[in-house]
Amino acid sequence: MRTLYAPRIPAVLLSIGLLLAACGAQTGASSDPSASASDGGSEAPAPSAAAEPDELLVLEWSGYEAEDFWTDFASANPDTEVAFEFGDTDANILALMQGGSQADIVHFYTGWQQFYVDEGLVQEIDTSKLENWDKVPPEYQELGQVDGKQYFVPWDWGFTSILYNTDEVDEVTSWDALFNEEYAGHVSMWNDGPGAVAVSSYINGWDETNLTDEQLAQVEADWIEQKPLNAFYWTGEYVDLCPAVQDGTVWVAYSWQGCYATALAAGDPVAYANPEEGRNSWVGLYGISAESESPELAHEFLDMKLAEITCGNAVTLFYYGCANGEVMAAIEDPILVEAFGINDPSILESTNFTPLVTEEQRGAWTAMWERVQAE
Amino acid sequence: MLGRRGTLPFFAGPPLLWLALFFVVPVLMIAAFSVRQGSGAVGPSDPWVPSAEHYQEVLGTTAFLRLLGLSALMALGIAGLATMLAYPIAYFLTFRAGSRAPLYLTLLLIPFAVSYLLRVMAWKLMLGPEGGINSVLATLGLTDEPIQLLLYSRPAVIITLVYVWIPFAALPIYAAMQRIDRAQLEAAADLGAGPWARFWRITMPLSLPGALATYFMVFIPTVGEYVTPALVGGTDGIMYGNIILGFFTRSANWPLGSAMAMIMLTLTLILTAVGLRSVNLRRVAA
Repeated sequence: MRTLYAPRIPAVLLSIGLLLAACGAQTGASSDPSASASDGGSEAPAPSAAAEPDELLVLEWSGYEAEDFWTDFASANPDTEVAFEFGDTDANILALMQGGSQADIVHFYTGWQQFYVDEGLVQEIDTSKLENWDKVPPEYQELGQVDGKQYFVPWDWGFTSILYNTDEVDEVTSWDALFNEEYAGHVSMWNDGPGAVAVSSYINGWDETNLTDEQLAQVEADWIEQKPLNAFYWTGEYVDLCPAVQDGTVWVAYSWQGCYATALAAGDPVAYANPEEGRNSWVGLYGISAESESPELAHEFLDMKLAEITCGNAVTLFYYGCANGEVMAAIEDPILVEAFGINDPSILESTNFTPLVTEEQRGAWTAMWERVQAE
Repeated sequence: MLGRRGTLPFFAGPPLLWLALFFVVPVLMIAAFSVRQGSGAVGPSDPWVPSAEHYQEVLGTTAFLRLLGLSALMALGIAGLATMLAYPIAYFLTFRAGSRAPLYLTLLLIPFAVSYLLRVMAWKLMLGPEGGINSVLATLGLTDEPIQLLLYSRPAVIITLVYVWIPFAALPIYAAMQRIDRAQLEAAADLGAGPWARFWRITMPLSLPGALATYFMVFIPTVGEYVTPALVGGTDGIMYGNIILGFFTRSANWPLGSAMAMIMLTLTLILTAVGLRSVNLRRVAA
């Protein structure tokens, strides 16, 4: 089990805090591209882009194939064929890669990066080939490192907290609102074992990376007891959660900030809690497959993902944070300011970042969650 | 010209090959996965070590077995309801629709032109708090506020699945009724049998094989259903298929998911075999 996660939290918090406070267009700590490139230690000469197939396959989450999410690359490479293969969970995406996916690029979220490196599924990123790399705050860059090497490019990020209907629910100050019987039938938890373990750990003050068997059993018992309170377990933020929040079916939900911003923009009576245990935060990472036949093109694709228009689309069209610090610093839309908590400099002080866990832990947590559902 | 010996492989070969490649081989692969040691996804070069650990885990988890039993019961009920509701439709098309039967048959098949997912989504809208059913109830003054239980519940799963299966279920019964020799009905009438007697003594027995075939055609896929419960079932309406899906996606534990699938397949085959053996179709039809 890697332990680099915990010591990095203060640095990450500080960086994001600076970013969100819009203190400047850049952090002033941009990495030296040549140094980053040397980290990669490429042993073989870089292949010529002209010798590569002019096509890319991206293993993505459904919805991210929209050209708004890669518009700079599409504009710069109108003849390149970009195809998408889809996974619907981090576990599913890892399984597809392990099963021999032909994808050149893979997109997943924090907590899973070690598996890709340990199994040799990805290659190092040569950051000297990324023109927009110095717009990514150093602490974000570090989230894409494993064993001191840059394997991933951070891209989208956001919060997880409690989204609630202010007409039906008093101010929410703790994650335990998900367990409040007053809201029976109007709660919606994310359909995800690790997410459930995280919530229980926050409430009980446990270290989720170090749970005992007894604590995990308690987590399972708590969620079985909580199950009848849910209208449903949501799987798609915009597909099933947001409509149910907006039509009044769901009053209290485990939610990302995108649904909050959507409801807020629609004028719905919603609020996004700052639980005393802290919000959760997640970061999306892109990696280049170790087997990619188009590594140069893949680097260009990831560089263009960080470009201003593409990153701006992620923020303004889909309400996701983006790793380009300049784009985030330029946010003025009050809905986005509210959604990202930009006016609350203290918000990140207690934010919990998704930690790295072992395969055994993930297996135990997901199996626990399947048992909860079967009850 | 193809001789008799050449005809069979010519016509039967392609479908048999198709079935072998895309049905038999996948089932064998699932069976192989289910007895593979360890969890997680399986790469092409990963070793394969046989083990019964996944079967032991499934059979040792009461929640999984209870949900399997519940899903089988739901499937039995849904198949029964769909068959009973489809039967009068088939009867009407065969004996009452006359020259308009092709038109009505086309109308019956129209739902198939719409994607299964969209049909289920339509029910999600219908059953929702602002949906058609709640609106009608409110308009009639029967309810003061929307009934939340209509959506995200086990009844919602049953209602939606019965709706989805009815047109599908009517076709085999209709085909069975089409094969009934009208001369038998005329002879019965000539001998003084009334409409009810003709139905119970001739139509019903002769159409029963089609109805039973329909019943099992609905029952078998319904046991493993997961799309409809995921969309309208909520936490209350989860079925066994949803847990299998979870092990293949959220958990990426293909061996355990495969073991669950094989256990479900075995139970379904046993129930189907018992059902078919308990009904002597030839005797019924005679």
